[in-house]
Amino acid sequence: MTDYVDAGQAVRLTSLSAVKGSAPQVTENVNYERILDASSEPQNWLTYYGTYDGQRYSTLDQINKENVRRLTPAWVFQAGATGMHSGASTYSFEASPLVVDGVMYVSGPEGKVWAIDATTGEELWRFKYPSPYDVSLCCGNVNRGVAVGHGKVYLCTLNAHLIALDATNGEIVFDVVNGDVRAGESGTVAPLLVKDMVIIGSSGGEFGVRGHLDAFDAQTGERRWRRYMIPKPGEPGSETWPADGEAWQRGGGNCWVTPTYDPEQELLFQGTGNPAPDFDGGVREGDNLYTDSVVAVDVNTGEIRWHYQFTPHDLWDYDSTMENLLFDAPDGRKLLAHADKNGYFFVLDRTNGELVRVFPFVDRITWGEISPDGKVTPKVYPDKEGEPVHFWPGPAGGKEWTHMSYNPQTGLIYVPVQEVGATATRRRREFKESIPYWGAGVAVDLEDFYGYVAAIDPLTGEEKWRWRNEYPMCASTLTTAGGLVFQGIPTGEFVALDAETGEKLWSFQCGSGHHSSPTPYSVDGRQYIAVPTGWGGWVEGFFPGFLGANAGDALFVFALPED
Amino acid sequence: MTTTSSDRSDQLDEAGLAIQNRLALGRQLGTGNIGHAEEDSDGRMRATIRIPEDELVWDPAIIILPHGGELELTLINDDKNTHCAVLPTIGDHLIIWLVNHSKGTATLNLPGPGTYWYGSTTGNDEGRGLTGAIVIGGEVPAEAKLDRPAQPRP
Repeated sequence: MTDYVDAGQAVRLTSLSAVKGSAPQVTENVNYERILDASSEPQNWLTYYGTYDGQRYSTLDQINKENVRRLTPAWVFQAGATGMHSGASTYSFEASPLVVDGVMYVSGPEGKVWAIDATTGEELWRFKYPSPYDVSLCCGNVNRGVAVGHGKVYLCTLNAHLIALDATNGEIVFDVVNGDVRAGESGTVAPLLVKDMVIIGSSGGEFGVRGHLDAFDAQTGERRWRRYMIPKPGEPGSETWPADGEAWQRGGGNCWVTPTYDPEQELLFQGTGNPAPDFDGGVREGDNLYTDSVVAVDVNTGEIRWHYQFTPHDLWDYDSTMENLLFDAPDGRKLLAHADKNGYFFVLDRTNGELVRVFPFVDRITWGEISPDGKVTPKVYPDKEGEPVHFWPGPAGGKEWTHMSYNPQTGLIYVPVQEVGATATRRRREFKESIPYWGAGVAVDLEDFYGYVAAIDPLTGEEKWRWRNEYPMCASTLTTAGGLVFQGIPTGEFVALDAETGEKLWSFQCGSGHHSSPTPYSVDGRQYIAVPTGWGGWVEGFFPGFLGANAGDALFVFALPED
Repeated sequence: MTTTSSDRSDQLDEAGLAIQNRLALGRQLGTGNIGHAEEDSDGRMRATIRIPEDELVWDPAIIILPHGGELELTLINDDKNTHCAVLPTIGDHLIIWLVNHSKGTATLNLPGPGTYWYGSTTGNDEGRGLTGAIVIGGEVPAEAKLDRPAQPRP
C-alpha cells in the first residue's frame, strides 16, 4: 500500500464561502453614554429594547401610515444549519437584531452570531459556538440577541457561557462560564451593557436550579456580582420558603429575559421566572420569593432595593420574566408597566414598587383573581395527585416573553396577547439534577384559542382597540413615529397596524411563523424594518395547535422602494 | 488511544445493525467503538479516528475527553471512497476533505461538559453511519456552580 495522501489541516468552514471575515469598526465608541442617549440616534438600535426603558419605540417615520402599503423586502438572510444540534426540531430564530452605523449584529440558534451589511444583507463575518447537543433546554434551541459596545459583541451560549467577540472580525475575546450545565442551567438571554458591565441572567427554571442575575466586567469578563433570586436560609425573603426543607436549593426564579434599566435610580428591573417545581406547590409552601416578581436590583452592587411579586406561590408556571416597560405619567410619576403571564397588567411606581393599578388584559382568567388593590386569590390549580385541572391562561401566559411596546405619540402600550388554556395534572416526583422538575403532566389546549394585539392606555387601564386574529400573538410588537405597530403572527405574516385605530394597513407572508422581536433602523436616509422569522421554541407551551407549522430561520428586512 | 466494547456490540452485530445494508440500509448511528483521548502533561489532548473500508463509520465513533480544551485530532480515511469531516470548535465548524487513503489533522478547541457532533457531510454519509460524537466529561469550574449543597443526579 502506498503512503497516505496528505489531507492537510482542517480549515474553517466559513473560509469556503463568500463571508468576508471583517466588518467596519463601528462599535468601539458604543458605550454607556451612547446607549443612555440611544433615542437620539434612531438610525441605530444599540441595545436589546432599543433604549434602556424597554419601550421598543422608534422615532423613524419615513415608513408611515400613508406609505406602508408599499413596503417590500430589501433583502433576506438565511441562517441554515450544519449537522446535528440540540433541539433539532425546536430551534427558533428569536433574536432582536442590533444595528450600529450600517452594520447589523444578530444571533441565531445554536451559538451563531453574524455581522451583516444592513443595507445589502452581505454576511461580513460569522461566529459559531460549539454548543453541546445534549444540553438541558426546556424551550428549544434559541437565543434572544447580543449586546454590542466597547468594540465587542456579547453573547450568552446554550451551555451558559458569556462570550465576547471582536466586533470587527468575530474572533473570541473572552469566554467565561456562568452556569452549570450538569445542573440544567443554560443561557438564552440577550446581554445588557450598563456602565462598564455586561448584565446577564440564567436559564433553567424547569430543571430546579437556583436562578441568578450576574454582572461581568465588559472588558475582561471578570464577575462583579451575582444576585440569586432564591434566598438562602436566613436571608431576606427566606421566610417565604419552607424552613426545614431543601426547596430553596431548587427554587427556580430564573432571569431569562433582559432587564430594563433606570439610569437615574441606577436600578435594573429584572423579571424573574417560575418557582420549581412548576405545578407542585406542596413541596414549597409559602410565597416563594423572589419568583414571579419584578426585582429592582442596584446595578452597582447587585443588592435588591425592592420587589413586587405578581403571582405568589405560583402553581401555573406563570413566569414574570417578561419586560418591565418604563414610562413617566403626565404628572411626572415614574412608572413601570408589566403584562404578566397570569393575564393581569400591572402599573407600579418604579421608585418603590408600590402598586398603582392592576387590571386584566386577557379575556379568560380562571386560575384566580387579583383585586384592584393587588390581593391575589387562587381559585383553580393542580392540587390533588393525578387530578386534571384546566385553567386559563395556560403556562405560556396571556403574554409570554415576547415584548410589548409603548408609543409616546398615542400614549398606548401594544401588547401581543395569547388566549390559550391548559390542563395540568399534579404528579409529584423526586428531584434529580438536569431532569425536568415540573411536578405535573401538562397538556396545552389544541383548540379554542385565539389572539390579538391590545392597545392599552396604561394610565386608565382602558383597552382602546384590539386587532383580533384567530391565532395567538407569539411575537413582540414594535411601534414607530410613523404611526405604526408591527406584529409578526404564527402563520408567517408580518403585519403593520395603524397605531391609533388598529386597522391592518400592510402584510407580507414570510413563510414561517414569528417568535422574535422586530428592529427598526436606517442607513443613508433609508428606513428599514428587520424581523427574524422561524417558528419554533416552546411551541407545545404557547401554541401547540401549530406544532405542525413550517419551521424556518430567515431574517427579513423591509424598506420602501428606492424609486 | 484505548477502546472498549460490551455485550451490546455483540447484539448489534447479531441483529445486523452494525454493518452496512444488512438489516437497515446503513449502519445504526451510535454503534461504533468508544475511544479515549490521550492527555499530555500540559493538558492538550490527542486522538486518532479512521474510516475503515466499506463500514461508513468513524473508529472510534465516540471520543471521550476528560475535560474541555485543545484536541489534536488525526483523521485517516482507509476507505476506498471519498469522505470529509466537519468538526466543532470555538469560532466555526472546521472541515477537512478526506479522499481515499488519506490522512490529515484538525485542531479543535472545545468548551466544557457535553456531547459535540462531528460527521462527514458529503452525500448522506451522516445517515449511513459517519456521524460521531466528542464527549467531554468533568464538571464546570467551581465559580460557575450554583451556591447550594450537592444535589442528587440520575
